Amino acid sequence: MEKTIRLTVNGEEKTLKIGVQQTLLEVLREDLGLTGTKKGCNQGECGACTVLLDGKPVSSCLLLAVKADGKTVLTIEGLAQAGELHPMQQAFNEKGAIQCGFCSPGMILVAKSLLERNPNPSTQEIKEAIAGNICRCTGYLQIIEAIRSFVS
Amino acid sequence: MNDYNYIGKEIPRVDGPAKATGQAVYTVDVKLPEMLYGKILRSPHPHARLLKVDTSAAEQLPGVEAVITGEDLQEVRYAFVDTPRYPADEQPLATEKVRYIGDEVAAVAAESEAIAEKALSLIKVEYEILPAVFDPEKAMQEGAPVIHGEQSASTSFWEDWGVAQQKKTVQEDPSINNLSGHTFVSFGDVEQAFQEADYSREDRFELKPTAHCQMEPHAAVASYNPLEDKLHVWLSTQGIFLKRLFLSKTLGLPASKIRVHHSFVGGAFGGKIDLFPYEFCAAYLSIKTRRPVKIELDREEVFMTTRQRHPIIVKIKTGVKKDGTILAQDIRVIADNGGYRGSGPVVIFLCHGFSFPVYNVPNYRYEGFSIYTNNGIRGPQRGHGAPQIRFAIDSHLDLIARDLDLDLLTIMHKNVRQEGDVLPNGDRLDSCGLTECLMGAAGAIDWQKKREQSHLQANGNRYRRGVGISLCSMFSGAMYYPFASAAVVKMHDDGSATLFTGAQDIGQGSYTTMSQVLAEELGIGIEDICVVAGDTELCPIDLGSFLSCTALVTGNAVKKAAADAKRQMLESAADLLGLADPAGLKTQNKMIYLEDDPQKSVSFAQAIQASVLKRDGNPIIGRGSFKGYPRTERYPSLAKAKGLFTGAYGFAAQAAEVEVDTLTGLVRLVKAVTFHDCGFPLNKTVVEGQIHGCVSMGAGQALSEEVHLEKGQLFNPSFLHYQLPIALDTPESAEGLVATIEPSGPFGAKEVGEGCVAGILGAIANAVHDAIGVRIYSLPITPEKVLRALKKI
Amino acid sequence: MRLLEFDYFEPRNLEDAVTKVREFDGNYQIIAGGTDLLTALKQRLSAPAGLVSLDHISSLKDIWEEDDVITIGAMCTLEDVLSSSLIAEKLPALNQAAWDVGSPLLRPLATIGGNICLNTRCRFYNQSSFWRSSRDTCYKAGGNICHVTNKRDSCVATFSADIPPVLIAHGARVRLAGPKGVRTLPLEQFYTADGRFPHVIMAGSGEILQEIEVPLPAPQVSCVYHKFRMRESIDFPVLGVAVMLKLGEKKSGKYCEDACLVITGAEPAPVEAVQAREELLHRRLEPGLLARVAEIAASEIHPIKTSLISPRYKREIAKIIVTDALKKAGGIEE
Repeated sequence: MEKTIRLTVNGEEKTLKIGVQQTLLEVLREDLGLTGTKKGCNQGECGACTVLLDGKPVSSCLLLAVKADGKTVLTIEGLAQAGELHPMQQAFNEKGAIQCGFCSPGMILVAKSLLERNPNPSTQEIKEAIAGNICRCTGYLQIIEAIRSFVS
Repeated sequence: MNDYNYIGKEIPRVDGPAKATGQAVYTVDVKLPEMLYGKILRSPHPHARLLKVDTSAAEQLPGVEAVITGEDLQEVRYAFVDTPRYPADEQPLATEKVRYIGDEVAAVAAESEAIAEKALSLIKVEYEILPAVFDPEKAMQEGAPVIHGEQSASTSFWEDWGVAQQKKTVQEDPSINNLSGHTFVSFGDVEQAFQEADYSREDRFELKPTAHCQMEPHAAVASYNPLEDKLHVWLSTQGIFLKRLFLSKTLGLPASKIRVHHSFVGGAFGGKIDLFPYEFCAAYLSIKTRRPVKIELDREEVFMTTRQRHPIIVKIKTGVKKDGTILAQDIRVIADNGGYRGSGPVVIFLCHGFSFPVYNVPNYRYEGFSIYTNNGIRGPQRGHGAPQIRFAIDSHLDLIARDLDLDLLTIMHKNVRQEGDVLPNGDRLDSCGLTECLMGAAGAIDWQKKREQSHLQANGNRYRRGVGISLCSMFSGAMYYPFASAAVVKMHDDGSATLFTGAQDIGQGSYTTMSQVLAEELGIGIEDICVVAGDTELCPIDLGSFLSCTALVTGNAVKKAAADAKRQMLESAADLLGLADPAGLKTQNKMIYLEDDPQKSVSFAQAIQASVLKRDGNPIIGRGSFKGYPRTERYPSLAKAKGLFTGAYGFAAQAAEVEVDTLTGLVRLVKAVTFHDCGFPLNKTVVEGQIHGCVSMGAGQALSEEVHLEKGQLFNPSFLHYQLPIALDTPESAEGLVATIEPSGPFGAKEVGEGCVAGILGAIANAVHDAIGVRIYSLPITPEKVLRALKKI
Repeated sequence: MRLLEFDYFEPRNLEDAVTKVREFDGNYQIIAGGTDLLTALKQRLSAPAGLVSLDHISSLKDIWEEDDVITIGAMCTLEDVLSSSLIAEKLPALNQAAWDVGSPLLRPLATIGGNICLNTRCRFYNQSSFWRSSRDTCYKAGGNICHVTNKRDSCVATFSADIPPVLIAHGARVRLAGPKGVRTLPLEQFYTADGRFPHVIMAGSGEILQEIEVPLPAPQVSCVYHKFRMRESIDFPVLGVAVMLKLGEKKSGKYCEDACLVITGAEPAPVEAVQAREELLHRRLEPGLLARVAEIAASEIHPIKTSLISPRYKREIAKIIVTDALKKAGGIEE
């Protein structure tokens, strides 16, 4: 069964014909070619597929695309503006928070949304915010450090 | 010393922006026009004879382009270990038998994943179920089901280069069933030394299998172009030249007809070295269909059918003098390598290789057995044997220290090896900072004070704290195909450079550290360097990003290539400046100047342009190479552990403070300390990142990570049930980098990315004992084991 | 693993939803947030012909207080529950339980209704179709054997949702819309204690969970939820307990006027520890009593090895978390 949905992706409004069994992750990666959103487990357990849905971080592999109809999606590709890294991307790179980079898109989006909700998170709050995003490379320390660098 | 512009500096990753923006293309992201999707049919049985595979219904399904089975590939054999003694025992698709749950039986290529999945369901397979065995000690016994027994006629890849040790006929003990590998090493007089010892003790330790959990699932894209008769592949791998060799041998294509293209690798940790059936099948199906084929594994398939860390049983006996001096050690290791040999004979060799560089043990006997069972295949995982053996040895030494009422630190200090030591196999420790690491780690964890506190804490306290410490060592490269790394530095006429290296950045930061080596040696900025890597067509050979060889081996190759380019530029500059010879010329910021008279200078661009015009059109291309181990041309013998192993050992001391909830049994890692002798850190941020990653993985394996198997079936093939650490488990952390300056390393650098996964296990196990007064002999130390040890359940 | 094809309906009101459900005659699934359902569908645990989405029934997304009852629409996400000041103030244990569910990436999607209707779980059941093909199909998946107990035609899969214990402890009722109209029933009666069909909807009532009604707690009521797990996110509970205490004050100190203890993660339904409650009633809260109550509560659960955690360990943990929760609810310092 197919359905037409409207999505605002990275600021651009799109009308898409999709199969109702497609997840948002599949639509982003396959229909829109936005492969910055990663598929790590496809079971909602790793956070690599995180996108911001109406500003909130969600696992896009557990969301039917049809359920995102009418909503706003921000993927990692929408973060850097005019060739300039977003400050959070910059901080991740400078603090060593990126190694293999596979979790980075999701982590960065979660971190951005955390700071929008809570500009001064404690270290514990940072850990809680990224608790659904698994990173096997960094042991999380430099990721936490990168986010902490925004805390006054 | 250390008056460097780039080396040792915290330079941000050169591939950071691509990864932070989602632009970095991983193998899972590769999509080609007309691409087909492949899927693999697997055995649901741990041990069965394959009677019939009927693919006719699948072939008729619309959208299915090809179906292959073992019958199409009768002769194809390959393996991580492939020697006359240990002939290759893996097949891309089973022919006669299946030997573990997940063993590959057939593969399809179809227009979509959904059609491919449907096609798999239409393949009918008849099996004759065979008795299976899952416990290595039972598998060794007489009468156990025989898992392999077939004769292999394959020739060995490893023989091609003539680098194997002299062949000697070795009679294996026929009473050991399902033996896949055997290592025996002995020096000194062990029996005599035990008699002379004041005290001796024997213990048995056990470690469960663990999983790598690379965030990027395994995937391959293959595209065969019949017009050029060439196979193009994108693989999530840590060694492009080794993969090309495997594909060339199994597909019967010349290496020149296979090109491995660059793609970013979403984590590897040793789990992306072996050739996997999905890779071979993608290539084979592409050749067969003349269309690109992509096979991407599900997370469950990654857990079940790629590789796991070997579960190992270690029996260890040590004899000491009253003061803690080690006189003798007798170690026996049994590794369960699953249904195929995997890296079984290597891990039992490496358990020795990571045992003997740490303590000076004058009388030593080591025997290792790798055993076939009907479990999943085991291969290298970060440390490859080091976590298992270091956990056992240092847990055991802690017990001895407690028996003798000695401080473990005292015993360690008394026995650790020192710079200048020559190991029994002939390896030299030209750099060794074990003593400094030990002192640093003990200081950072506040050893004396914490030990006193843990002795004083009231027995009734619910939460109890303790500290522990352990040591580890790791190779920095070794002799393994292609035996060397090389690099090319191409200068551009504006004075910038492109570095061509076969090394793959698997997250460890090699593009960045190699850029730093090049920048330092050449005298240009990081921003003036472009790295072209991970492509077998464009790049010279490289050992690959395993065996912890990148910093030392590839680093030396890059340094030499840079020096070669620089030499040529200086010669051209000397001409321009009217100097008789280039001596006295220095480079910095893309400028060449006379050290004594800096006003006399030319730019790189001028020197390069002059070289083109006046030196036979030479645009300046530097080249350099470095062997896996310069002092030898041979592999070490896996069975006898003879021959040289590695050019430099990295060392570390790791300490842990834990808090144990004595009611629930939960152990929290409060603080982790690592003092690492990595020679000289090329990039502190990168080195610390490697240490953090090692500590996190090690802590997971010490406390929670376990691949749960019952009758060969894996019960937790997911991040929900395979309990790897999440951000909330992150301990306080302290690192110290002990600079010993390895003479054979580029700018003194050696291994950093693996060893530190090993020491943290023993540190945590010893800390738990310190906290609760009871020893737990098997990893992971789960809350249930803690409560059982405390006799609460 | 991709999802198989299905039809998808987005009714605009409950009546249409109920009608749609009836049309499918059992071969459907209701999708709320979908976080649990999509995982199950990818594992081919079911292959419904149609999904009936409740996304567009706006009446299911409110939280309000009226006549001393707090009503929560079934389609409120856990994030909605967490951001409700009404719940934070009047039902803090519910806020805690919502926080404890899944990971931060699931809570904006997952709904309170979905958590209440969560399917039971088992280490033999929540696996892919390939994984399960190594054994005979288990009873819950449509076969006739239970691999945990080796018994025929029975299922001991475990209920492990975090929210229901708190709601049961608060005496909540659920409002169900079905072919025969709307009814309410106490939440504990919603559950069947049958691992295969753990609640009335899965058992085939054809109903849709509409709302949860929680009586406003009396001022002397204190309720806590205590979840025990190995990692403080992502994981389901090894065991969770909601403890509601209504405290009175006597000269001799605080005593228990009323109590309710509900344990999740132990059996196919949330378990009310009724004997433990009896032991508590009218007694002064002192350490000896708490230890006794915890022992009794632990003896009231009958865990079976449906996860990787041993039943023995679960019983031990029951004692610890019941004690901890009682102390916290009773305001007793360590």
